[in-house]
Amino acid sequence: MRRTRTALLATVAAGALVLTACSSGGGGGNSTTENKDAKVKQSKSAQQLAGQITFGDDAASKGPAEPVPGATPGGTMNVLERDSYTHLDPGQIYVSNEGQLATLIHRGLTTYKLDNAGKYTVVGDLATNSGEQSDGGKTWTYHLKDGIKFQDGTPITSKDIRWSVERLFAPFITNGPAYLQQWLANTAGTDYRKLLPDGPYKGAHLPDTLLSTPDAKTIVFHFPKPQTDTPYLFAMPGYSVVDSAKDTKQAYDKAPVASGPYMIKNFDQGKSMTLVKNPNWDPNTDSARHQYVDTFAITFNHQAEDSTKRLMSDSGENQTSVSFDNAVDTDNTPKVVGDPAIYKRTVAGYQPFVGQIDFNMKRLTDFDVRKALALAIPTKAVYQALGAEYGAEYAGGFLSPSLAGYQKADPLGKAANPNGDAAAAKKILTDAGKLNTKITYAYVNTTAGQQYSVTIATALKAAGFDVQRKELPSDTYYDLIGKVDNQYDIYASAWGADWPSASTVIPPVFDGRTIADQAPNYAHVNDAHINSEIDRIEALTDPAAAQKAWFDLNTYIVTKVIPGVPTVYYKQLQLFGSKVGGAVYNNMFSAIDATKLFVKQ
Amino acid sequence: MTTMTTPEDAAPKAAQGAFLSVRDLYVRFSTEDGIVKAVDGLSFDLQRGQTLGIVGESGSGKSVTNLAVLGLHNPATTEIAGEIVLDGQELTGASNRTLERLRGNRMAMIFQDSLTALSPYYTVGRQIAEPYVKHRGASKREGRERAIEMLEKVGIPQPRLRVDDYPHQFSGGMRQRAMIAMALVCNPDLLIADEPTTALDVTVQAQILDLLSDLQQEFGSAIILITHDLGVVSKVADDLLVMYAGRAVERGSTRQLLTEPQHPYTWGLLGSMPRLMSDVNEQLTPIPGAPPSLLAPPPGCAFHPRCGYTDLVGGGRCAVQRPDLPLGRGSACHLTDQQKRSVFIETIQPRLG
Amino acid sequence: MLRFLVRRTLGAVVILLFISAFTFFLFFAIPHDPALLSCGKNCTPDNLKTIHHNLGLDHPVPVQYYLFMVRIFTGHHFAAGNCPAPCFGYSFANSEPVWPTLIDRLPTTLSLALGSMVVFLLFGLGTGMLAAWRRGSAVDKVLSSASLVLSSMQIYFVGPLVLALLVYNNHILDQPKYVPLTQNPVHWFSGLIIPWCVLSILFTANYTRMARSTMIEQLQEEHVRTARAKGMSGAYVFFRYAWRGSLIPIVTILGIDLGSLLGGAMITEWTFQLTGLGRLAIDSVTKTDLPMLMGVMLFSSAMIVLFNILVDAVYAFIDPRIRLS
Repeated sequence: MRRTRTALLATVAAGALVLTACSSGGGGGNSTTENKDAKVKQSKSAQQLAGQITFGDDAASKGPAEPVPGATPGGTMNVLERDSYTHLDPGQIYVSNEGQLATLIHRGLTTYKLDNAGKYTVVGDLATNSGEQSDGGKTWTYHLKDGIKFQDGTPITSKDIRWSVERLFAPFITNGPAYLQQWLANTAGTDYRKLLPDGPYKGAHLPDTLLSTPDAKTIVFHFPKPQTDTPYLFAMPGYSVVDSAKDTKQAYDKAPVASGPYMIKNFDQGKSMTLVKNPNWDPNTDSARHQYVDTFAITFNHQAEDSTKRLMSDSGENQTSVSFDNAVDTDNTPKVVGDPAIYKRTVAGYQPFVGQIDFNMKRLTDFDVRKALALAIPTKAVYQALGAEYGAEYAGGFLSPSLAGYQKADPLGKAANPNGDAAAAKKILTDAGKLNTKITYAYVNTTAGQQYSVTIATALKAAGFDVQRKELPSDTYYDLIGKVDNQYDIYASAWGADWPSASTVIPPVFDGRTIADQAPNYAHVNDAHINSEIDRIEALTDPAAAQKAWFDLNTYIVTKVIPGVPTVYYKQLQLFGSKVGGAVYNNMFSAIDATKLFVKQ
Repeated sequence: MTTMTTPEDAAPKAAQGAFLSVRDLYVRFSTEDGIVKAVDGLSFDLQRGQTLGIVGESGSGKSVTNLAVLGLHNPATTEIAGEIVLDGQELTGASNRTLERLRGNRMAMIFQDSLTALSPYYTVGRQIAEPYVKHRGASKREGRERAIEMLEKVGIPQPRLRVDDYPHQFSGGMRQRAMIAMALVCNPDLLIADEPTTALDVTVQAQILDLLSDLQQEFGSAIILITHDLGVVSKVADDLLVMYAGRAVERGSTRQLLTEPQHPYTWGLLGSMPRLMSDVNEQLTPIPGAPPSLLAPPPGCAFHPRCGYTDLVGGGRCAVQRPDLPLGRGSACHLTDQQKRSVFIETIQPRLG
Repeated sequence: MLRFLVRRTLGAVVILLFISAFTFFLFFAIPHDPALLSCGKNCTPDNLKTIHHNLGLDHPVPVQYYLFMVRIFTGHHFAAGNCPAPCFGYSFANSEPVWPTLIDRLPTTLSLALGSMVVFLLFGLGTGMLAAWRRGSAVDKVLSSASLVLSSMQIYFVGPLVLALLVYNNHILDQPKYVPLTQNPVHWFSGLIIPWCVLSILFTANYTRMARSTMIEQLQEEHVRTARAKGMSGAYVFFRYAWRGSLIPIVTILGIDLGSLLGGAMITEWTFQLTGLGRLAIDSVTKTDLPMLMGVMLFSSAMIVLFNILVDAVYAFIDPRIRLS
């Protein structure tokens, strides 16, 4: 449930590239038409996020995908990426850029479909639908479609799905998500490995009581507990299919067998990758993806500043260029949004992250002090550091607008008053006799971190706190604040959901029973009501009821516990060349949707 | 006795018939500290086949004078005035091209330290042949043959083998011979030898000097021999010129200068020179004091701060009035001829033994 | 000569051993666990332990060092694949074999280094010699001050400026990129011309100043005066005598510069998104990728050491006193 340290850091630092796999959602995002101005873009995404993501049936999962208006096949698309792909083995994929690539080359049991109206549906990908549950959500049955093949033409069977699941237990798989393994083994942490210590490689298999494959096209999961999020789970790129006949273990990470519309022609680690059409991908089996572009020519090492400058110039080959993951860098944002000719070549949307300033509950035990802190902190400082409206949106709670069932709420009035309320805070402190309470404020020594920490510290002093700023190096920031006995009172962090459900946010961040060094409960919240509510809501089988309960719990945490103050919902603006067609922001990938792109002829 | 026909300060015309005639030569260097008057109104003449010795301490202007003759000073930082006439051809103000054609061809120079004066990067043979190839239009092969011939002439054994050696492979004496070979390769009419034997031991010194004399016999060159060592010039020079602080202070034939020197500075030089026959316990008498700064030379006679005989002149004249160097044999000193003679005989000569 | 080479090579091996040990142990002095890199979101202590074992980090550091050094020569069969000698192991970050990665990055760095060397030698020595030739003149003053201004320029400033002026805004030159010479010589040239020039700026200024000062120094050497006294022309003396003597300091600095350039020009590669050894070095540091870091460090150290030996060998060609003694 934890994101990597670098992921957290990236978001705290600048909100630049996001290292999360699947996330966010809960409705719209942008429609397929390119928007004309920022306000329209923002209001549009906000409206559509109020919608509800649905689990698709057979009809919704049937290929081919709805054509992108005006799309023409052919051509080469240049892709400017910052980071090279470290992992290509589905079992090792978790971070966002690899997840983006995975949507082009890998397929799993389910996936997210974004239609031309901007609606998201979880549909069957290799499977005929998003999953059939029985036994109160404990048993999930999937049937494979006809005509699904690996890049070499071998049909994909239930044997491959079983293999793909079982190999996740092998010791060399350490990077990918662990939800499925934990659900099957019914354990926390990495104890699941005991279930199948060597994976399938020494002939052992998961028992039919957990995973059964009665025929070549049917797979049945028997979870010990109800798992109502299963359709989301299988949409994670980390649970994509691996060719059981060609599994080369560690080496598969460098040369995986493709099942998606594209396959890897050439990968020069750290330099470039070329994707070409997979001839054995049948559009009639895929309701979400297209295969318009002939070749994706991906090059790495492009910082956001570099990709932005190239795309802004729109010269030569930059006209047919795009970046899957780079956002417009903060410095160039004013130029991009200020020039209509450039601005029309952008898409915008949410990232899954919610920023917060944690209050260390082990040290700040007084509720009044925490409340005064929460009121006094000017969230505007963080907002500005992230590039204002193009990089952030003021947060009212810890749950992002990209989650299913999102309700706009601002119980502490933070979004309404981003400058903070020093007077109210001072009054609380005075009344409680806590004026001049000592606060050690740890901040990360990035440019953004230094900027907003000064503003925040000044505001806290004005509210009557005795603030000490403590600078922490960026590469060990999360190691230091992640210690349970750290000596800091307040510090920033950010958390993103793994799929559009609050169940991947509140339990990891606010469950008091998970407090440990490096666990993401950075505020060390241990509240009996929160803990019992988590247990109760996780047992609910009605998704709508669960969603409402999560958001109610969120309000309780924001107002009655105050383990921190939410600052912003992260957003981003992405730019593409003038000859790039079909550019749409996909909130499920937190990036431009690679499967819809085409080269304008 | 073939030289010096006119007084210094009159800036006379170059002497007719003299092979090299220097008239009223001034050499000034601009430095960060000011103008250095390295040569301050010098005149002399030299005939073919004759050897002129120029003696003086370091910094007296001996080398500067001769570099001026060759035109080797950097024109950007050096101001040269006066006349230098070589065989009827005016050299001051001559074009670089003209000078290049003369250098190494009609006039050549032997430098003091053959280790630094020869390029370490090229063979001895090549360095000897270069001027021959350039001035005589010879081919490389001819140049090499000529270099071998010259090496043999200056007494290098097995010249055919040694021609391809580099300078550092030669001993000091051999290097000096090679340098002489290089200077003589085009049979120059004027040979300037700047302290050619200083760095060598005594036996080799003698050989080199003999060699110079022999070569002069053969080629009939005029030679200027620069040295601070009166012992050396006494063996080979016909005439002597004593320089102090950029000026000539005494001149005459070698014999005259050694037997009846007139200038107190010349006396000092003789006194500080060890003699072969003298008692080893006998003390040498160095000239007291240090050579003057050429940035601001003393007024009057430049030697007066170190001179022990200014009282004899009296009236403080030495500190005010600069003495002239008279025509021909003579010295630039305010002492009367009588005084010069009696001081030398009474106090100097006994000390010289 | 042979004895000289053998002796220097042995010395180089000792230096490289020292550098390797220093790098290796220094790496472990950094309080950062390289296993975190591969730990993903499921970073439990158990998972870390598994990764430590997978990466061989469960041995004591001296044992790890010993194994690393031995495997360079013997090769080793890793889980990620077979690694024949010279074997620097597999990257912690992306499981790529280190040695082939180095070899893969070398052509970019080689092209960048040698190309810019041509540019900075041409311009640096040219202007430096011109300044020395016209010492004290207006030309000299203009060139000297221009080189001073240029030498204070920084690549990370000039690079983006040049890109903005010549590529983004006007598209006079191509977007810098590396195309192998063997694939398309024209694109190789047009893709590297900007990086060459930008990387050369600093060097050009240095070489201008160095060429000027050593030439002036050499022109005052006695043997140069001797050559002039022989009647050799100004140009002949300048180019044959003074120039020959200037070669030694120039070759010395060039050897050091080229050695370090071949280890990767980090800022230039970063600025122009060229994937050479410099880029690899930066990445391996930021990703705490020990095997890659060791590979790059040893490779670039070896380059510097090698070029030092080469320089000494070149001395012998330039200076017969060294050759014949």
